[in-house]
Amino acid sequence: MDDLLPLLVAVPLLGAALLVAGGRLVPRPVAETVGCAVAATTAALALVLLLNSSPPFLEWAGGWTPVNGRSVGIVLIGDGPGLGMAALASLLTLAALAYSWHYFDEPPSGHAGSFPALLLLFQGGMCGFAIAGDLFNAFVWFELMGVAAYALTGHRVEEARAVQGALTFAVVTSLGAYALLMGIGLLYARTGELGMHAIGRGLDAHGRPDALVLAAFVLVMTGLLVKAAAVPFHFWLPDAHAVAPTPVCMLLSGVMVELGTFGVWRVYGTVFAGPGGVPAPEFERTLVTLGALAAVIGAVMCWYQRHIKRLLAYSTVAHTGLFLIGVGVLKPEADDGIALYLLGHAGVKAALFACAGILLDRYGSVDEHALHGRARELKGVAVLFTLGGLGLAGLPPFGTALGKSVTEEAVGGPLTVLYVAASAVTAAAVLRVAGRVFLGLGPKPADGTGSGYETTGSGERPETRHRLSRIPDTMTAVPAVLVAGSLAVGVVPGFAKVVAHSVNETGSAGVAASAHWTPAGVLLGLLSTLLAGVLALLAVTRPKTFAAPDRALWLRRLQSGHVGDYVAWVLVGATVLGALTLPGLLGG
Amino acid sequence: MSRRFRLWLVAVGGAGLAALFTAAALDLPAFGGDHHPYGDRAVHASLSRHTANVIASVNFDQRAFDTLGEMTILFAAVIGCGALLRQTRDEHRATPEPQEVARPVRRYALLVLPVALLTGLYVIAHGQLSPGGGFQGGVVAATSLHLLYLGADYRALERVRPVALYETGDAVATSAYVVTGLAALIGGSAFLANTLLPYGTFNTLSSGGTVPLLNAAVGMEVACAVVVLLARFLDQAVEIEEGNGT
Repeated sequence: MDDLLPLLVAVPLLGAALLVAGGRLVPRPVAETVGCAVAATTAALALVLLLNSSPPFLEWAGGWTPVNGRSVGIVLIGDGPGLGMAALASLLTLAALAYSWHYFDEPPSGHAGSFPALLLLFQGGMCGFAIAGDLFNAFVWFELMGVAAYALTGHRVEEARAVQGALTFAVVTSLGAYALLMGIGLLYARTGELGMHAIGRGLDAHGRPDALVLAAFVLVMTGLLVKAAAVPFHFWLPDAHAVAPTPVCMLLSGVMVELGTFGVWRVYGTVFAGPGGVPAPEFERTLVTLGALAAVIGAVMCWYQRHIKRLLAYSTVAHTGLFLIGVGVLKPEADDGIALYLLGHAGVKAALFACAGILLDRYGSVDEHALHGRARELKGVAVLFTLGGLGLAGLPPFGTALGKSVTEEAVGGPLTVLYVAASAVTAAAVLRVAGRVFLGLGPKPADGTGSGYETTGSGERPETRHRLSRIPDTMTAVPAVLVAGSLAVGVVPGFAKVVAHSVNETGSAGVAASAHWTPAGVLLGLLSTLLAGVLALLAVTRPKTFAAPDRALWLRRLQSGHVGDYVAWVLVGATVLGALTLPGLLGG
Repeated sequence: MSRRFRLWLVAVGGAGLAALFTAAALDLPAFGGDHHPYGDRAVHASLSRHTANVIASVNFDQRAFDTLGEMTILFAAVIGCGALLRQTRDEHRATPEPQEVARPVRRYALLVLPVALLTGLYVIAHGQLSPGGGFQGGVVAATSLHLLYLGADYRALERVRPVALYETGDAVATSAYVVTGLAALIGGSAFLANTLLPYGTFNTLSSGGTVPLLNAAVGMEVACAVVVLLARFLDQAVEIEEGNGT
């Protein structure tokens, strides 16, 4: 069965090639059906492999199994976390394809296959990255993910903002990719190896870490953290999410950004965790610092948005921060918690984006203020959006609540407060939107454009051909299924145990931990939901008190839309990474 | 953000990175050493499969899975450009006016075109034997066609370059690479394993097993991709105009 591992990449790529070759000849429904079928096949394959992944697979592409412990080939790792991410990416791609069924504006002149083909290439890149056990191979799939995502983000070229957002995304992420490649170059120069485990062994054999190891660590992490959208590498994300077509947002926020976090976990565990790598306290300090920053800034910025897609984008930044903290503390329980949290979050966040897309296509706006009370008629969507907000807050029994409570218990202390606060604030922003847009609660906010730095979200073009008068069933079914999936992560008996087992089998130095509901966790989940509800209610009834104060304006100004600023922040971020990691390498 | 603040950020971040790079470079292995752990293994593996060009063996045999990713990146870029540079509703097509080309330029272009095309095909075909291969030869072959644009005019280029056909060729070549990989898997070995064909006689065109096949697929993919990419950009520059058109 190991041999089937490369098919997770080969199937979507072949599907994309066939769609491009035949896309001109077939009508749109056929192309879309083929796209869905290929994505579904890959998802099924990933799930089958996942169910059989204990003990984990190790596959050498091209049959280059090691001789005397050394190989010239590429190794693929088919363990629980990797296959889990591949399965998640495939299922979300299927959801995105189903959501965009018949929905887009007309495809590029006469080519029905190009949009589904790009989505399949994106899926292939994500699957390849998830199962990569070779650092250079991971870089290749990282780039494929990127190239497909840039094109998908800028798909609505009629709008200048879409092109601008995609360009920013492309420049910043490419810069991250170059950093990653240079880091790989340094590691290769030291060890002569590209396989992650082999590099780790090579570093350990060389002895204590030195400046080269530090530089390699900083560069590789910079690349991965740009993808993960950690502060201060996160600026591309809100700009890209605000303009990307909704199905693409579902993939970007639901799984691609999380793959960056997964990459950090995988690379640290296999390459840098040994005595020749970066000591654990330094890694913990670095990731917890950056994670906490992302959680705070993401939550604050999320609260001050009125453009619904940007608001959701910032909540992804905040949650990325929480994921990074969980990965950073290097505890098996935290790893389990993050895996569950990530699964639950993917369902909820993708569902929220899907609902925002319905608003965009129905009303031609994603502005919380302009839409005040206008979406009263969309009762089903209102329920889904509210459920999404509650899931984001971590209301038991959502998967997010289970994952968050397990992680909170592992990290302990003040970080628990951060988890509760960040999830409560982001969820409160979502619930505030739900209250205003779907229920028409509170006074109608002024419709002014506010300060020059505010993106309102009014006057956006719908992605469908015309404004929808009736919402297609696929567009409501997809978020419903996604919310149900997020619930299932927390509810299905034994699921958490299986996830914990498969995560601990490869990572966490083989220490097995268990993940289950605890009374304290349930209480903390209820507490953050309650906080979110109260905050949302106060914001809706007293908009003046909770409007963005001038003090917070500088934070918003940082998100300037100027690519040069974002590049400058990437440089600063890399230096900060180095400065945070340096002390442990100097002493001792 | 003010220009001043941005420059400060660049200065601080750049200085930090520069210091890091300098320190790392001092720890690199010294130049000219004789310790090449990967190189030794790669050469050995290449010779064991009768592939004269070790680079080709690394690209299309030992790390063929990477090359699959690299060719797909180009493929994705081509589809992405097609989607982004499409003719939108507020743009229309104008017929470009042919312009006089200086006679020496014309003669030179038409003379060099077949030579350049042949060179490109040669570089692709001998990828497993000598420096070059699908990636490099593909670019040479594709650019050779564009000598027509320089030597004659845009319409002459368009006649030898039906974009839809090249786009299909791009996709077919990508599928061919994947299918070759799958064939090895179905044949009882691993994905992209070089076990389907005999390794042949060292330093002949048919040596190296599936290396020449994968190399040819990449050559075709790259040639088609470059043609389509240039076509998209030329279209945008020469033909598509803004305004409320037809």
